[in-house]
Amino acid sequence: MARAFCAPVAVALAALLCGPVTAEAQRRGGGGARTSVNRSGSADINRNANINRNTNINRNTNVNRNYNVNRSVDVDVDRGGWGGCCYHSGVGVAAAVATTAAVTAAVVGTRVQTLPSSCTTVMAGGVTYQQCGSVWYQPQFVGTGTTYVVVNAPY
Amino acid sequence: MDPKKCRRYLTRTVLVLAIASLGASAEAQQSSAAVNPAAIKALNDMASYLRNLKAFQVESATTTDEVQDNGQLIQYTAKINFVVQMPNKLLATASSDRNERTFIYDGKTFTMFAQRAGYYATVPAPPTLRELDDALSEKYDIELPLADLFRFGSPDWKGADIKEATDIGPSEVSGITCEHYAFRQDDVDWQVWIQKGEYPLPRKLVITTTTEAARPQHTATYTWNLAPSYNEQSFTFVPPAGARKIVLAAVGEPQGGK
Repeated sequence: MARAFCAPVAVALAALLCGPVTAEAQRRGGGGARTSVNRSGSADINRNANINRNTNINRNTNVNRNYNVNRSVDVDVDRGGWGGCCYHSGVGVAAAVATTAAVTAAVVGTRVQTLPSSCTTVMAGGVTYQQCGSVWYQPQFVGTGTTYVVVNAPY
Repeated sequence: MDPKKCRRYLTRTVLVLAIASLGASAEAQQSSAAVNPAAIKALNDMASYLRNLKAFQVESATTTDEVQDNGQLIQYTAKINFVVQMPNKLLATASSDRNERTFIYDGKTFTMFAQRAGYYATVPAPPTLRELDDALSEKYDIELPLADLFRFGSPDWKGADIKEATDIGPSEVSGITCEHYAFRQDDVDWQVWIQKGEYPLPRKLVITTTTEAARPQHTATYTWNLAPSYNEQSFTFVPPAGARKIVLAAVGEPQGGK
């Protein structure tokens, strides 16, 4: 039971803590065609998008039959670039992106590419939020990609 | 800009051109036998011509390869439309298989708008397009598409890095007679098709990344309009109804939690 309970948390933590490391590793990995001949080489290579997908699916069914699914998917926030459009970017500031399929605790700072269903747009203090149940997200552009960051409720 | 106007501009700026191309030639020329001076000259002429355009519209169809973990190349396509008034106005739209973006720059602020999501972000911007490209790249990890069009012939362009330059010969791109050139420099091999005659515009560009085993390529074809129609409002972003302002994350900025 302890294991069943901890695993999703561990994955979420790993996604949180390892995010920047993963992003760094991806950058070094290269992977896309350069779209400019005039940019400085190393900088440009580091900015090129790539696809690194490490999908971890931990499914744990505990004795109380609470079914927890936790998926941690590391992808570049914006895989494209102008190649893939846009602009490809996003890598430099990309942390790991967690797609949380169910209801483990949403960790503030976690980034997702898509929102759960049933979210409401809320404006508070001039900032755009998406409220999805009890979890609040702030949409951001990272590079040319759109991501959603879990934030504390604004009120 | 119509061709007559264009010629006038050229005549008027002939001295500037001469000085610019002298400088660029000195930078770009190599003594190696692998460097064909005629190819370098053609590149410099194109660069000077681009640097002296006052306004233009260009449509570009691009393809860009992405290397998968298993080494397979996947090609993505995008369409890009630019309306530019030099040195500091830009209206650009880019649509790919993945997203659509509008970029608007008026010499003071830069706005990125995501049509499908209805999100936009506006940030302060430097006073010229050339600086904008650098600032967006460094601060926000945004690469403007077609950036080479602003970089060829600019003071810090990479012409000096060319290790080999070859004139491949005449070639037609979308019905336009061009001369086809091939260049090699660190990390990339690249080819450019330059329109023949008095408007030496790039009509096609192919960049091969040589640092990757899979050698992914980026290709772009350009359709030019040197007499674009626009007005000052063209470069001012007016949020459509329902559009929402969001944050544009700066590189290295702590994520989340606001």
